[in-house]
Formats: sequence, structure tokens, C-alpha cells
Amino acid sequence: MKGYLYDSDRCMACTSCTVVCPVAAATREFLGPKMVGPALSRFRRPALAPDLAADLCSNCKNCDISCPSGVPISTLNMLSKAEYYRHHRHRLRDWVLSHGQLMGNLATPFVPLSNLAIANPISRTMLGAFGFAGRMPLPAYVRKTFRKQFRALRQQSFPQKVVFFPGCYIDFYDPGVGLDFVAVMQANEYEVVVPRGLGCCGTPMVANGFPGAAERAVRRNVRALQEWTDAGVPVVACCTSCSLTLKQEQQELFDVPGAAELAARVYDATEFLLELRDRGKLKTDLKQLSGRYLYHAPCHLRDQGIGRPGFEMLGSLPGLEISDADAGCCGLSGSYGFKGDRYEVAQAVGDALFKKVRASGADAVISECGTCRHQITVATGAKTLHPISVMRRAFE
Amino acid sequence: MDSVTVVVIGGGATGTGILRDLSMRGVKTLLIERGDLASDASGRFHGLLHSGARYAVTDPRSAKECIEENAILRRIGKHCVEKTEGFFVRLEGDGEDYEGQWVAGCAAARIHAKRVDLKEARRLEPHLSRRAVSVFRVPDSAIDGFRLCWQNVASARRYGGEVRTYTEATGIERAGDRVVGVTVCDTLTGAVDSIGCDHVVNAAGSWVGRVASWAGIEVDVKPDRGVLIAFNHRFTNRVINRLRPPANGDIFVPHGPITVLGTTSSPVASADDNVPHVEEVLELLHNGTELFEDLPKYRILRAYAGARPLYSPGEGRAASRDFTILDHSTDGLRGLTSAAGGKLTSYRLMAEKTADVVCRELGVKAACRTAAEPMVEDPPRRLVTRARPFFPPYGLDLAASRLGAAFGPVVQGLQMHPEERRLICECEMVTLAEVESAAREPTTFNLGDIRRRTRMGMGTCQGAFCSLRAVGALVSHDLVADKDGKALIRDFLETRWKGIRPVLWGDQIREAEFQREVYAATLNLDGTAQR
Repeated sequence: MKGYLYDSDRCMACTSCTVVCPVAAATREFLGPKMVGPALSRFRRPALAPDLAADLCSNCKNCDISCPSGVPISTLNMLSKAEYYRHHRHRLRDWVLSHGQLMGNLATPFVPLSNLAIANPISRTMLGAFGFAGRMPLPAYVRKTFRKQFRALRQQSFPQKVVFFPGCYIDFYDPGVGLDFVAVMQANEYEVVVPRGLGCCGTPMVANGFPGAAERAVRRNVRALQEWTDAGVPVVACCTSCSLTLKQEQQELFDVPGAAELAARVYDATEFLLELRDRGKLKTDLKQLSGRYLYHAPCHLRDQGIGRPGFEMLGSLPGLEISDADAGCCGLSGSYGFKGDRYEVAQAVGDALFKKVRASGADAVISECGTCRHQITVATGAKTLHPISVMRRAFE
Repeated sequence: MDSVTVVVIGGGATGTGILRDLSMRGVKTLLIERGDLASDASGRFHGLLHSGARYAVTDPRSAKECIEENAILRRIGKHCVEKTEGFFVRLEGDGEDYEGQWVAGCAAARIHAKRVDLKEARRLEPHLSRRAVSVFRVPDSAIDGFRLCWQNVASARRYGGEVRTYTEATGIERAGDRVVGVTVCDTLTGAVDSIGCDHVVNAAGSWVGRVASWAGIEVDVKPDRGVLIAFNHRFTNRVINRLRPPANGDIFVPHGPITVLGTTSSPVASADDNVPHVEEVLELLHNGTELFEDLPKYRILRAYAGARPLYSPGEGRAASRDFTILDHSTDGLRGLTSAAGGKLTSYRLMAEKTADVVCRELGVKAACRTAAEPMVEDPPRRLVTRARPFFPPYGLDLAASRLGAAFGPVVQGLQMHPEERRLICECEMVTLAEVESAAREPTTFNLGDIRRRTRMGMGTCQGAFCSLRAVGALVSHDLVADKDGKALIRDFLETRWKGIRPVLWGDQIREAEFQREVYAATLNLDGTAQR
């Protein structure tokens, strides 16, 4: 915990954060980021018992984006949640949702049985009893994780290297995105490295009140990446929550040696590619594409303050038609929308986006975030893609 | 013309304490105050309930008095005292000899001062200076002066005591060598009146001399100015004192969400001058930074100044904090008693001694019971449990403590009208129901009165949001029928501004500009935009 006292001191109580908070707009039960973060932080020190006012916060970080004073509001919320769970037991459901890597390691060897075990009507009822949202299907595990497929992959060797941070979603549910990234980099004469020992970035643990586990995850990742960051090799993630955590959140929460040096090397994949393009380092003889797409910017991308590099890149590809949905948060927020008592809020938050998607008639919805894509597909039936998958078609 | 047995002049801790004491002894008593209760020294100090340790070396008698009264107030004033305990911290370079004298002084005064292991002290107070070499814990506490005065009054009312605020005494009426009444002026309407009585108690704090002069008697009370700073956060959970001879800026007191740093000491000609100066604030910060090295990074909310009513031959810190009860029959006038000097921690004792003199003269035999009975009852446990869902986290206990007897009706309102649960003041977590409850009191005339009863407007935004909301609520509920809403906001913001102006830098200058944008630019409160 770093400088927390001074950080909430910067709050002017202007209430911008509460105005933009999608959860506060969806339910009056939530006091809003200003109250739950900076305002209550003034009362937490004298208090004898910690509070759970932040439990409705989905850690989407729109508050942080809006704050004119640079207060890490969502991090204050997560800290207060962590403090609460230092004194109270977690729900089993929250443990399951926040330990995706462990669950993935357990479930993957038994695919498709494990998917069947989760998705059949009986177990869905049982999951409901454990506090999962019955109407929100969990994503299905793949038989071969990204890392397994990556090891089997024959890459052409190039002097330019880039480290890829897969994260849980791509590893266990959506390895195709990782493979698309490798293909795009190969086409541009980069060799992709996935060091051993990488795991969950830690953000689901933070959001569910497991700061200890999250800090261990951060330490492990920093250690696994150290030799590459020391050598000045960029670290790239296709999941915007992973890249946000590596760049920023872990630094606000923990004091891990080497974390700041790592953060300085981290890029979101689309950010990295856009920078290469602007420096004239990407190949320019691109294939002609076609299609009409709608773009959704994940909250954790917007919080990085790097604009919409994926949208910009796709807009410059020959033959593509793409428009920005500009409809706010999808509502799922990683693990939040899978919870029975948060499902209604999550759906209400995503409603504006779902309407845009349904009305758009687009061939597919493009978004960097895996859980955003999952939410959009479940809610609207629309096909979804990561921008890197579209780029692969142009570069190969 | 009304008539009572005793009129008390002055609505600070001493005056309200005397009102309570006399009322409990069955004496019909009326207190008059020219402003709101606790609007001077009793609301303009660091809110420290001394353990007496501060006076252990310099003023052993005060030290002994303090520890005795401290124990009593923690018992009878549970809802205005926060039992924080205190640390005395000696830093590198502070004299070791003094520490020895101090330990002996505490022992002599029977103040329990126990050495704390340095590692433990740092664990308990992580922001404390790394230069600490000795730490002792003592039973210091925090006390809310506004609430103390109102709870004294709440207790007095149960025994028939009465209060008139915004009523200024303008003269003492006499018949021969006897006091027969007081002339008063309503400071809001200007209406003049007189109140008949057998006895007048002069508890006007720094203005004791002025009141006595109306009877042709000289009482030489010297006002001694003290400046304090309120910080936005509670960066210490304990009262922190510097273990060295008392000096400026060496006490920190946590109060709910904030911390107060004080104080300075300088003689002033008039106690009415309570505008703090930047120079004084900087001196406090300079000294305070020795105890909390990160102090310059902490956000300041405001500064304020008050005056100690010193009554003794010495001056400033050398003057005794002791009190003196003056029975003016020795000056040839019967029916006038002045309570001079003193400090907040021993206000109850001062009130008891004053009431003893008054009762002796009135022939009243009843003994003092103020140390035995709590000032306000605890709210029933079942009511507190029922109320929990109506308040934000931490809001319930604050409200239960500050509301006293009004807690029950407020909870009922919150249950029946969920919209009343909305927060008017988010920084201090004051619900609409509480603001309305305070506004309905016959002694409430402006937003400042509501502030002193609820803490509305005392937090981070210093009134930027709550003044507008409160006035909106008051107007829509016809609680300010004959008043100008714009004037209410303006007066309230002006008093906030008075405390912000001397600390106008860092985060607070941004806050002040934000507030100005809201009221001056957006709402055109100062009429900048012409039609």
C-alpha cells in the first residue's frame, strides 16, 4: 500500500466519478466511487470494523478515468475490500472466480468432460446455489491451452524479440488470440517469447479481495520476466486487464522490487503495433479485407490513457469499415457479472452497449477484452473478435 | 419581562456546565448567549480532553484536576468524548532531564503514564517521526466542544433549565446593592428586553471583564490567542504530545475523520479577533513536522483561532490554566458571581464550584450531582440495530452519538421516508433527516447552527455541496419560511472561507476554486453576471 493517505487527500469531492460510474447508474444501492473510496477512507482509520461498501464496485475503473485529481479511486475501493476480507471469510464462489489459473489447470486435462460438468442443467443449478449467476454461462475451457499450442509452434527466429504475456483468458479459453498475435509478429519479423513461470496477472484476485494471492502472482510474474525486462525487451499482452495490471494497478497496490522497471516495458498489443506502424516498422503490403465491424473499447483499455490504438489500426486496414460503439462498460467486469447477486447490475450496465450491438447489423463486434467479448456474445448473440485476429488476416 | 432565579451569561462549556449544575440542584436557571453555543473558545480549541500530563511539570495543581475531571467526563460524556488515549513523544534532541521530571510529575498527580516500546508505538502510529526516542501512553482523549455544550443543555433541560441563543447581555440591572436582572438584546432582530433574576452568573469566558464592568467591577481576564489547523485525514489514532516543556504546535488530536494540530499562544487585546494568519499556520506546520515528518504532504482543511480566558498574574504559557470563582458580594454587590480563567477539561469542576457559591447565597442546600449522571442516555440497543440499514457505513454510530434524544425520532423518519436517508453532507455523512431535525430546533437560525450540531460542512469539501443541498431541503420543507436562502448560503460559505483563506495552497486551493466556480460562476451567487 503506497501513499494511500496522500492520494485520497487529493479528492476535491467534485463527484465526476459518481456521475460516470456505471454501477452507481444501475443501482442506488451503490453509494458511488466518491463515497466508497475517498470519502469513506477518512472514516476507515478510526473505525473498529472494516466495511464492505466497496463490494458493489466492479473495479471497471471509469472513476479513475474521470478523476481530475488523479485519485486511484478503484484501488482505494479494492484496498477497503481487502481489509474487510482480512477479518471475514470469503465466499467459495469468489475464490473460484478469482483463481482462474488454478481452475484452468485442473479443468483443462478433462475437456470436454469438465465443460460438460459445468454447463449441464444440473450443475448450473448447483452453481446457482453457490452464488453463480444461473443465466450467465461460464466460458468453456479449451482442450489445448495457448501455452501448450505455443510450445508446439515452429517460429522463424528473428533478432527482434517480444515477450507475450498470455494471461488466463487467452490461455484457457481463447488461445486463438494468442496464436494470432504470434502470427502478426512473425509477419513483421519479430520472434515471440513466452517465458516459463508466467501466470495470472492478479487482477481477479484483487477484485475479489485476495490481495495476498494477487501480490504473490505479481512477484512471480516480475521474477519470470526480469531477464527480459533487464534486456530491454518489450512485454505485450492482448488482454487489456493484464496489461493494465502490469503497467499500473500492481504498482498502486504493492511494493514489489522490479515492478516499476517491468511496468515501463509493458504494452497492450494494439498499442505496441500502432507504435511500430507509426515508426514505419510494420510491413505495408497488406491484404485487402472486407467487412463491417463495430468496435467496443474495454474500460481497462480506456483507463490506460493510450486512446483506442486497436480501433485506429483497424480503421487504417484496407477495405474495413469500422465504427466505435462508444457505449460505456459492458457490465461483466471480469468476474463480476458471473455472480448471482451482481448479474442484474451487470446486465443493466451493459444494456446501452447491447442495444448498439443489436442495432448495428455489423458482421462482428471487435474488442480487446475477452470477458467483454463473452458478455457481448451471450447478451446479443453477436460474433466477436479481438482486433489482432482481424489484423492477422491483413498481415499474412 | 421574564423572571428566573439565575441568569447565566455565556454559552460555552463553563456556562452550559453551570446551567446543568444549577438545574440539577433545582434552581430555575436561564442561560443567554450572544451567538450560538460553543461559538467561541469552547468550539475553538483542539478538542483535547487533557489527562493532565501536559501540566505535570509546570502546573501540578491543574494536572491533578485534569486527571480527575478526565475520568469523570469519560464517564458522563460518553457521547462527546472519544477515548483515544494519548502518546507523549520525546524526539532526539529533546532534553532527557525533562522526561525524568515529567515522569515524576505524572506519578505525583496520579496520572497513569506507561512507557511504550518504540516498535509497538510505531506499529500503533505508523506515521509518527522516526526520531522518536521515548514514548509514553496517557489517558488523553478527544472531546467535541460543540456537542459537549449541547449535551450539557440537553441534560439541563430535563431539569427545567432553559437556553436563549443569539441573545446578548447588554447590562446588569441593580436595586441598591442587589442584582435584580439583566438587559438583553436579540442579536438577530435587535429587540431589547430584560430578564428579572435574583442572581447573575458571569461565565463569558474572555469577555468576563466586560460583563463585570457593567456592574462597575474590574476583573482582569487576559485573552490569549491560540491558532489551530484541521487536517483532512486522521493520520494519528491517538493524541500525540511532544514530551518537552509546553510550546507551540506540539499537540495533535484526532477527531473522527480529521486531525487537529495546535496551538499557538499570544496575548491579544480583544478575543473577538479570531481570524488566523498565514504566519501562525506556518509556525504550527514547522513545529508539527518534527512529530510527523510527512506533515507538509497532508492536506489542510482549514485553520481557526480562539482565545483562552487567562486569569492570573502571568502571561501566555506561564499563566496558570487555573480558574477562580469571584463572589462579588466582596465588591459590595450581591447576586453576581464571575467564573474567570479555567480550561475546558475542568469546566465541570469550575461549574460545580460556581454553583456552590450561587447556592450558598440563594440558600439552596442541594449538592452537586453533575459527576454522577450521564449527560445523555445511550440510545436503546434495539433502536440502533433497527437503524443500521438506514445509514452509510460508519454513519450510524456518529449519528447515534451526536443526536442524543433526537435519535429516536430521526430513525423513525428514516424508516418511514426512505428519501430522508439521502446524504446532505457526504464528507461527514449527515443525512437529510438529521439536517431537518437540527433545523426544526427552536435554537437553529442558520446553516452554521446546523453545522455545529451535525458537523455538516466540516469535511473535505467545506460546504461546496452541502450548503446548496441543505438550503434546498430547508426551503422545500418550509423550515426557513421568512429567510433568504441565498443569504443563508452566502453567510455559511463566508464562515468557511474565513478558515480556508489562511491555508490557501495545495489541494485546498483547488477545492476553494471549485467551490467558487460552483457558487460564483455557475450559480452567480455574487451577482457577477448582470442581467
